[in-house]
Amino acid sequence: MTFKGGVHPPDYKQLTEDEAIKSVPVPKQLAVMLSQHIGAICRPAVNKKDRVTAGELIGSADAFVSASVHSPVNGTVRDIALCSHPVLGRAEAIIIESGEDNQPMQPAADKFDASFNPDRFVSEEIFNAVRNAGIVGMGGAGFPTSVKIKINPDAPIRTVIINGCECEPFITCDYRIMLEWTNQILAGALLVGKALDCNNIYIGIEDNKPKAADAFRRAIKNIPAAAGVEVAIVKTKYPQGGERQLIKSILNREVPAGGIPPMIGVLVTNVATAAAIAQAVVLAGPLTHRPVTVSGSGIKQPGNFYAPVGMAAGELIELAGGLTKKAARVVLGGPMMGFAIADLSTPITKTSGAIVTLTEEEIGRAKVSGKETPCIRCGRCIAVCPSNINPTKIAHAVKRNMLDVAEQYYMSVCIECGGCSYVCPANIELAGFIKTGKILVARQKRLMPK
Amino acid sequence: MLNVLLGLLPAFIAAVWYFRTRAVVLTVVCVAACCLTEWLCNIIAGKANSLGDFSAAITGVILAFSVPPALPVWAAIIGSVFAIAIGKMVFGGLGANIFNPAMAGRAFLTASFGVMMTTWTVPATIDKNMPQISVANTSAITQATPLAWSKEAIKSKDAQGSAKVDASTANNMLRDLFFGQRGGCLGETSSLALIIGGIYLLLTGVISFHIPLAVLSSAVIVSSIGYFTDSTAYASPFFHLMSGGMLLGAFFIATDPVTSPLTKKGMWIFGIGVGGLTMLIRMVGEYPEGMMFSILLMNSVTPLIDRLCKITPAGGMPNV
Repeated sequence: MTFKGGVHPPDYKQLTEDEAIKSVPVPKQLAVMLSQHIGAICRPAVNKKDRVTAGELIGSADAFVSASVHSPVNGTVRDIALCSHPVLGRAEAIIIESGEDNQPMQPAADKFDASFNPDRFVSEEIFNAVRNAGIVGMGGAGFPTSVKIKINPDAPIRTVIINGCECEPFITCDYRIMLEWTNQILAGALLVGKALDCNNIYIGIEDNKPKAADAFRRAIKNIPAAAGVEVAIVKTKYPQGGERQLIKSILNREVPAGGIPPMIGVLVTNVATAAAIAQAVVLAGPLTHRPVTVSGSGIKQPGNFYAPVGMAAGELIELAGGLTKKAARVVLGGPMMGFAIADLSTPITKTSGAIVTLTEEEIGRAKVSGKETPCIRCGRCIAVCPSNINPTKIAHAVKRNMLDVAEQYYMSVCIECGGCSYVCPANIELAGFIKTGKILVARQKRLMPK
Repeated sequence: MLNVLLGLLPAFIAAVWYFRTRAVVLTVVCVAACCLTEWLCNIIAGKANSLGDFSAAITGVILAFSVPPALPVWAAIIGSVFAIAIGKMVFGGLGANIFNPAMAGRAFLTASFGVMMTTWTVPATIDKNMPQISVANTSAITQATPLAWSKEAIKSKDAQGSAKVDASTANNMLRDLFFGQRGGCLGETSSLALIIGGIYLLLTGVISFHIPLAVLSSAVIVSSIGYFTDSTAYASPFFHLMSGGMLLGAFFIATDPVTSPLTKKGMWIFGIGVGGLTMLIRMVGEYPEGMMFSILLMNSVTPLIDRLCKITPAGGMPNV
């Protein structure tokens, strides 16, 4: 069982799949964004020159749909200033100079063993811990997790799916944590289930990661509380890790277009998010660090790192041996959905699972920057579209600034997976136009600042 | 696009076999004229050269394949210039044209030089001294196409005695229709060659099966209605499938992605329109053949079909 459409880009995961997650030395300076999530931007909770300690709240979330941010290190607030942001261009960040008294952060995986039992916690407690820890969807979307795990009597959650697909090329950080933090992820999964009073838990893994699936099967056997958790193997296909696609593959159910999974009683959350939930609830640790894959043929020693949020992309690249001469583009996130960055001082955020560097040759192969030729309406974009919409019609409507036509072709349903751009023989950046169109519509409706 | 040219190769070989040098001359002239026109149009419009996409060459080949073998070279050049300049470049070039350029060029030729466009050559494989079967046309160098016989049968439906042409005259030509030994446009005569080329396009994924299947099956259905009503007046479905431009149109012209709908549902409607209208013209209309007109007609409604046949997004219609 699988979803309709999708593409099979080469995965390049062999570059880093055997690289264990390494802690990184504490950076001298961090730029922690006040906007790393979908929803209201945080209000600074500290002032310039304030002393902060690791885990201290530095940006508070007042709105319900928002997530607070915390200092990853002990140090001093040097400034609250605009800083380059991977998605927004420029946005406000807390600039922290780290003190001398810091130790590199170690993953907390060894604190979770077979004796874990979610019944030690009550639903409310889990919600509060997740809210206070500023956890967001770490698979890329950045939706505040606390909103998702709040019990809603009108739309009870009956199935929880932990998303371990990691279908984007190059990225292996989720794969590594599935191998190294298996118990912690399971603990997080059980806590989500506990918070929502739901016993039906799946862990969705693509069939190209048999070791991860085995690790979970072993862990489920060892942890008595996890007996009901099921490992669901799904087909390796991009974008299998999209929540709509994963729900279709595992449960054979469709999320209504324009709707969200809770409408059909399903919650999907990424493995890294599950691990962060476990850490927040059990160890009261806020989300300040995340696993990041630094990979691509433009990198000398590709690897996986446990890096503080706010660390500059360039510093992580240096830790991975630096750029090779062939490196032509640096992408924050995977090559399909990530954002090319022009400034290596761009900090990583809670949603940055990877820094991928591409060579000229790879950019050509991925057809991102090839010379655009006219659309001959071959229809390949429609054939691969997992949302079953008409990418070329929408993209060309956006190009001509006919946003109403674009909306008539269901532009809002696009999940921005980039499959259409990938297959387009005319090298048209269809997904790019659609993303632009969505932003323009949001601005028209004043849902988004200019 | 190169694959389309490869798909047309069997038909070209058949054309050379049956019409000898005329096939080579017309094809070369049309391709050269189309390419030159596109090159000049780009220069005039200040656009980059677009010959590399081979679309002009394909238009040239298809135009050459859809004109009578005896068409004078100058007329072929006029048709090519019209096809590219008016059929394609004035709309903005590849991807922006409403009508299939080759069919636009052919329509222009049909309107301008009606007699030349309906003067047919006897295939070189037929012995020149052999007496021509004839009712309406006794010329030594021209031969009525099988479709003309079919038309005669329909026209003389109610006639009696020697004035009546039986549809079996047409039905008896199936073997020649299959291999291509018959009067007709340069590249449309050999069903075998077109089917080989069509299968090649399907296997290489250049075209999807929807449009050819819709065209051919609707043609079969409409022609069957006629055949089973009055088999002395209406030729058999097999005859209609293999005669005229049916196969060339179904596999190579109606499938032009630029001028046909994007969605599968749209492709079905488009194909049924092409096949149904062609048969309507053949059986009821004045012309013996209707492929060109029905393709052009369906081309013109393609934007509407696209608007009507929006696909349902995964998860059902959203409330936009």
